[in-house]
Amino acid sequence: MTRTPWIVAACALPMLLASSFAHAQAPGPQPFPMSFFVTSVGIGKGGDLGGLAGADAHCQRLAAAVGGGNKIWHAYLSTQARPGQPAINARDRIGQGPWHNSKKLPIAADLAELNGDTIELARLGSNLFKQSALNENGELINGAGDTPNMHDMLTGSQTDGRAYADSADHTCNNWTSSGAGSAQVGHSDRIGAGNTSWNSAHPTRGCSQEALVSTGGAGLFYCFAGN
Amino acid sequence: MTIAALLAAGSMLSILLGSSLALAQQPAQQPAQPHPMTFFITSTEIGKGGDLGGVAGADAQCQRLATAAGAGNHTWHAYLSTQPRDGQGAINARDRIGQGPWYNFKGDMIAKGLADLHGDTIELARLGNNVTKLSALTEKGEIVPGLNDNPDPKDRTWAYASTHPNSNRHEMLTGSTTDGRAYTDVSVDRTCNNWTSSAEGSGQIRGNVTGAAAEVGLSDRNGGGNGSWNSAHPTGGCSQEALTRSHGVGLFYCFAVN
Repeated sequence: MTRTPWIVAACALPMLLASSFAHAQAPGPQPFPMSFFVTSVGIGKGGDLGGLAGADAHCQRLAAAVGGGNKIWHAYLSTQARPGQPAINARDRIGQGPWHNSKKLPIAADLAELNGDTIELARLGSNLFKQSALNENGELINGAGDTPNMHDMLTGSQTDGRAYADSADHTCNNWTSSGAGSAQVGHSDRIGAGNTSWNSAHPTRGCSQEALVSTGGAGLFYCFAGN
Repeated sequence: MTIAALLAAGSMLSILLGSSLALAQQPAQQPAQPHPMTFFITSTEIGKGGDLGGVAGADAQCQRLATAAGAGNHTWHAYLSTQPRDGQGAINARDRIGQGPWYNFKGDMIAKGLADLHGDTIELARLGNNVTKLSALTEKGEIVPGLNDNPDPKDRTWAYASTHPNSNRHEMLTGSTTDGRAYTDVSVDRTCNNWTSSAEGSGQIRGNVTGAAAEVGLSDRNGGGNGSWNSAHPTGGCSQEALTRSHGVGLFYCFAVN
């Protein structure tokens, strides 16, 4: 059961190839295959992404530069509750899947597989690991052992993809701070901090760009297309 | 990146792990000297596919390699399950390896106990243990080549893999489910007949595999459609050639029981 998504993906490959072939003969609109990427560059102001809207715009801009601008892209980021503003969960912003990277390889079939919603799915993990978590240009992201290491992905999320409910800062003040505070990060290579979490491995030391860099980050994050 | 580069960068990982752990507010009363090795991946294969001489033969391989590396003072067991056969009950890999914590060649923690290693709660399962490409080292402290390392069209043949030690060999024999237990369905083989078979098998590695096969995990957590370290998919058979076809050579995890 848990392997079904992979099998489905494997079965889909010939169909993808076949459809590519068909289009080679009869040009026409073809769905843009990529629905997941790691940002190739950060915004450069640490944890200040210009809020969720700024992060989403960054995803949209990077995707558009490689031909994926006709999809709606959202950053995988949570925000915490503030007076008059409820929390937002990263997992609720990215559609239902399945998601594929720039090389058409499956990342996860659905939200349950991506976030490990059952203990079996959580143990297995999704197909997101160093060799598949590519940027929008199809390039690997530097990880542990590479120089410089850039594997810390801003998420502000717990392991289940939801916002923190406590009063501590886990989102660089809802992605507006480049100074005080902290953000929860995952590892795109799933190496470090004694765990293999892609979305909730450890907190950052601060929210400045320097603070992000000091633990192996560059202010990168995950982008997903929900449609 | 090359294995040499990875090895060179290996020491950096300890620093990274150290700082990350500090950030995670781990207690600071860790002793300064490194922990003795209580976990490793076999640096060499037995060479007869899934025929390891039973669990006893696999344990002996662990003990032999550990002894050669100066760690023979521990009792070593292979992380392997066996299935119910001929009136004999199943054996779960997780019941064979002590209680932990376990440390690799460099003294980095792999998991602090059975629950962390296997993800016995959903939170632990989502976090995952510390079996990674850079920490799942051999008894000599070497990184095991993984997905996309020195790829070659021929690297799925034993003739090539046996002469190119840097080719991908990330599939670890376990014969286990994700929770570290034996398969209870006696009609399927997920242990190469309890580690005595080097039969060819069906060649199928996805779905409801029938025929000679062993369940494998991925030491680099890359590939197989998931990141499971102990139960990613079955092999396409039990011969040395069949194991190599899906990027394994018959390596396995060894844990010190004491």
